[in-house]
Amino acid sequence: MNPHLLTILIFLPLVAATAMFVVPAGKRNAYKYIALATGVLQLVLSGGMYYLFHPKGAGISQERLYQFVDHVPWIRLDMGNLGRLEIDYFIGVDGLSMPLLFLSALVMVIAIGASWNVQKSAKGYFVLLMILDMAVMGVFSALDFFLFYIFYELMLLPLYFLIGIWGGARREYAAIKFFLYTLFGSVFMLLIIVGLYFSVTNPETGAHTFNMLHMMDPANYVPGSFFSALAKQELFGIPARLLGFIVLFIAFAIKVPIVPLHTWLPDAHVEAPTPISIILAGILLKVGGYGILRICFSIFPDAAMQSAWWLGLIGVVSIIYGALVALAQRDLKRMIAYSSVSHMGFVLLGVASFTTEGTAGALFQMISHGFLSAALFFLVGMLYDRVHDRGIYHFRGLATLMPRYTVFVAIAFFASLGLPGFSAFIGEVFVIIGAFNAESANGLLPRWMAIAGSVGILLSAAYFLWTLQRMFFGQPRLKGGTVWSEALTDASPRETVIMVPMLVLALALGVYPALALDKINASVLALVELVTK
Amino acid sequence: MTLPTPTYPLLAALATVLLPFIGFLLSAIAGRRAKSGAISITAIALSVVAAGYTFANVWGGEPIHIQWRWFTIGEQAFHVGLLLDNMAVLMLLLVSIVALPVHIYSVAYMKGDPGIHRYWTFLSLFCAAMLGLVIADNLLLMYVCWEIVGFASYLLIGFWFTKDAAVQANKRAFIINRIGDIGFLIGFAILYAGFGTLDINALFGPQGLFATAAGASTAGSTVHGGLPAGWITAAGLAFFLGAMAKSAQFPLHVWLPAAMEGPTSVSSLIHAATMVAAGVFLLARIFPVFDDTVLLVIAATGTVTALIAAYFALTQFDIKKILAFSTVSQLGFMMVGIGIGLYPIALFHLATHAFFKCLLFLCAGAVIHEMQHLNDKHRLGIDPQDIRNMGGLRRYMPVTFATMLIASLALVGFPLTSGYLSKDALLVHAFEWAALHQGAAHIIPYVLAFVSVLTSFYIFRLLAKVFFGTAATPALANGQAKLHDPSAWMVGPMLFLAACSLFPLFTLHPLNDGHVWLLQGIAVSKPWPSLPLLHIVIPVGAAFATLAVAVWVWRWYVGGKYTAKTDGPLYRLSFHQGYLDGLYDRFVVGTVLRFAGVLRWLDTYVVDGLVHGLTTLGRSLASAAGWVDQRIVDGLVRLFGKLAWGVGNVVRRTQTGRLQGYFASLFLVILVILLYHIIVQA
Repeated sequence: MNPHLLTILIFLPLVAATAMFVVPAGKRNAYKYIALATGVLQLVLSGGMYYLFHPKGAGISQERLYQFVDHVPWIRLDMGNLGRLEIDYFIGVDGLSMPLLFLSALVMVIAIGASWNVQKSAKGYFVLLMILDMAVMGVFSALDFFLFYIFYELMLLPLYFLIGIWGGARREYAAIKFFLYTLFGSVFMLLIIVGLYFSVTNPETGAHTFNMLHMMDPANYVPGSFFSALAKQELFGIPARLLGFIVLFIAFAIKVPIVPLHTWLPDAHVEAPTPISIILAGILLKVGGYGILRICFSIFPDAAMQSAWWLGLIGVVSIIYGALVALAQRDLKRMIAYSSVSHMGFVLLGVASFTTEGTAGALFQMISHGFLSAALFFLVGMLYDRVHDRGIYHFRGLATLMPRYTVFVAIAFFASLGLPGFSAFIGEVFVIIGAFNAESANGLLPRWMAIAGSVGILLSAAYFLWTLQRMFFGQPRLKGGTVWSEALTDASPRETVIMVPMLVLALALGVYPALALDKINASVLALVELVTK
Repeated sequence: MTLPTPTYPLLAALATVLLPFIGFLLSAIAGRRAKSGAISITAIALSVVAAGYTFANVWGGEPIHIQWRWFTIGEQAFHVGLLLDNMAVLMLLLVSIVALPVHIYSVAYMKGDPGIHRYWTFLSLFCAAMLGLVIADNLLLMYVCWEIVGFASYLLIGFWFTKDAAVQANKRAFIINRIGDIGFLIGFAILYAGFGTLDINALFGPQGLFATAAGASTAGSTVHGGLPAGWITAAGLAFFLGAMAKSAQFPLHVWLPAAMEGPTSVSSLIHAATMVAAGVFLLARIFPVFDDTVLLVIAATGTVTALIAAYFALTQFDIKKILAFSTVSQLGFMMVGIGIGLYPIALFHLATHAFFKCLLFLCAGAVIHEMQHLNDKHRLGIDPQDIRNMGGLRRYMPVTFATMLIASLALVGFPLTSGYLSKDALLVHAFEWAALHQGAAHIIPYVLAFVSVLTSFYIFRLLAKVFFGTAATPALANGQAKLHDPSAWMVGPMLFLAACSLFPLFTLHPLNDGHVWLLQGIAVSKPWPSLPLLHIVIPVGAAFATLAVAVWVWRWYVGGKYTAKTDGPLYRLSFHQGYLDGLYDRFVVGTVLRFAGVLRWLDTYVVDGLVHGLTTLGRSLASAAGWVDQRIVDGLVRLFGKLAWGVGNVVRRTQTGRLQGYFASLFLVILVILLYHIIVQA
């Protein structure tokens, strides 16, 4: 087995992007085939890694328990009084990142498939897509905070252009909004990274370090340093560690997104082209949840515990608020965007419980939401491609016109609303159980939060079924009349080939959740142990 | 963990569930090719055989329990497993044996429907989920099946998806059931938090946590695991909420009458053993969790439901609506059975009711089928389900009439029917139970007795209007048209169910419920003494009351002796089903939607407005800075520039290149210095 498998996985798209530069712009079709080949190769690679991944590899705070590790010095700089700068190329996977890597590879293939008909400057589009691909793979693998930050910021750039150039009518507005929102979070994150750098030393070399795993061990903190737990430093009257936690949390929470920092999401989704919506919902939102677990909780466990009540509250508010606003939408894509807010609220509620059930449920919910939301956005895109309209009230009786499409929509809707047998069910149920258990397990969350969260399950049934009834059932009646009914052809073979794997995966994980849970279990246990010890 | 178990009954039970499931998969794959329903019917028929074998081997013997690891979260393993005890195998047999005639009946009833392949697919899924539910060994698995039952019923109720009423109804059914699902979910979350397991045997079995803890403490059932005292009560109420939605208890019953929009054969299955039975079964399964408070709530809710539903049934004209409310009312009876602590009697009534209610619907379906044909053939434009358009049908459809009469007699609890056994057992025990209780609990048995009278009234009214009197449809009355009993595919199942609605299926003592094998198999000790007198008074009284009502209805509807006052508030309240649908639409749905609208407004104008405000602020700050930059910072720079230019402009005049000028300047400078020295230093 190649020891650099993970590095290959990350930088494969970069090779592809380089290759694309060489191909002359006249050969439009070459780009998408290169992209697809890269995507499929990555999927196979990550699938193989997933299969090889040993379930005992807990990771979290111990380097020897990470797998597919690549750890080499990258930047070493003598900085006089400030000591030696130590930045490593340090990547590896554990149970938190392994499923997300596989998910990313899968969603990327879906997104490439959904980009099949991109006409406008295909070269630029696919090159940017490849850079984005590299960045997300990097984010989920980086274990050096500096490296993480580079990948993290690198995601923004291609997304900005992909929305801003290939998007809908208000694409520039949406692109800038998205960019500024995320940048707002990450700029302050940089300050915390620097603060952490000066507080933490590498126990072997004694130099300051960006190594995240060293940051998770309280013994590595310089006595009296800014983020040292013992020093109890304060800034603006707030304990420094709490402040660090809050800033990092906000940076990631914008990505999740949480209410009230969510308003970039509906605009970005509505304006983004379908493949970018798929990537946004399928991967980008998970970066938020992943960051909270990998960084906020692991580096600032004490502050995380203190904030549990608030995190739970934010989760509950996101669940209910997102669901209610989704109920009031008249645009299908916006409705699904808000349903994402609601479903990601479960992730927050789950992690805030600090129980194994809740955390595993949250992680499972992230994976499940990854391909279910990708499926949902793809389905909206199918409709939009045909008639360039998404108004819920502009369609009626689609089941008669597009029976296969309706079956896909119905399955995706029911899977998303948590029908047993599909993955979202396991995620949501264990988030609720975990949140409920928190009061007896660690006393961090009151039980009413679990009960309030379960109301979201009811509301999700309401908005999905209502939409199903309004758009798909009844006698056909379309805003666009016969022109539309001719344009609304049933799902094509290409679309079917893309849809089926996602739904099958949702079903497979719902029927046999051990497929994912066996891989993430050890990490979840280690994480909960690390945080609550 | 896994007990050594006899394999064959276990495999048979597994087959009972998996066969319809395989039927579902095969039908789904076959798509339009599966029109005949052969797959589904074969599957359910084999399922009946397997269930029969399981039943024969397990009933009365030791329970069989087997489980396999499903997945692990943290250190907690979750299992899939089978728990085959008397209760489970009874339900297994009941569900499959009621489902079989419905399948066969559907062949004729659904013939020619363009979407029939979907029908068979959904029907198989429906049966598989319900069969899975009854043998699930833990609450999580049960919950999975519970929701899939709801999902399948959603698909079946909305089977005619181009009909608006149907898709409204299935949405309503699913959402109301979701309310119940939340109850179920919270219920088992509480138990999991308290006991760390969801295994039914470990919790509620004879050696389960509830049983041992209750035995250990003398003060009755004070089990709370690690939870504060009130939480077990809360869990009981939460589970009951689940059962209320599934088993259509007031005020969550509204989905069931609305669900009549589905095909009648589906209604018969939903009302008999497959959907609404799940709630009652759940309560029986987890019975030890309920404390006295919850039991009283259950009994009271059941009573109210029984009364109100029977009251609504009195004035309906839609033949299926009458039967739907009748089901709701009977489910109320079963709830009372649970509430008074005798869940075996509730299950007994569930079993007898399954047969006769299924039969009632199949008969109604036969009538509707014929009326529909009549309507289509003669272009009458009448509602084929409206009993006002029927009348005198017994002459045309004697078999249908006879079977429906048997089912109706079972429903009212007339001697020699199965309904007599279960209903009287319920009533008698309710009276005995009430004797031990104080206050309002006393009313419960009297209300139930009154509901029995109402039951007789509405079902005899239905019979009278449909089968007696003269035909209301002119085409039928003047002999142009003929109706007839349906084909053997439909009559066969009806005859079979009619046979099952009579006493011999349950006991050979037609008038005594003390020897019913079902009650002997699932026995609980009755915590009160029997009152022998009641065992005579109530059956006799009930039989006489039934006869009296029958005579009264006859005189009213056939003899035309009385007319109903149709403008009184009581009549209208009943006719409009308590205006509940409107109330829910206006107050619950309306409120939620308005609130959602307000939130959407807030989201757009306040939350996002804040972001925009920040943007505006940023931009105005930027333009202010721009102004400052241009006017002040750059102004200063330009000022210096101008100054320099001005100075230069002045100074350059000195650089004229004319020697006289330079000398003049030189002279002036020297003069100034000299003057300075002279004046200042003097």
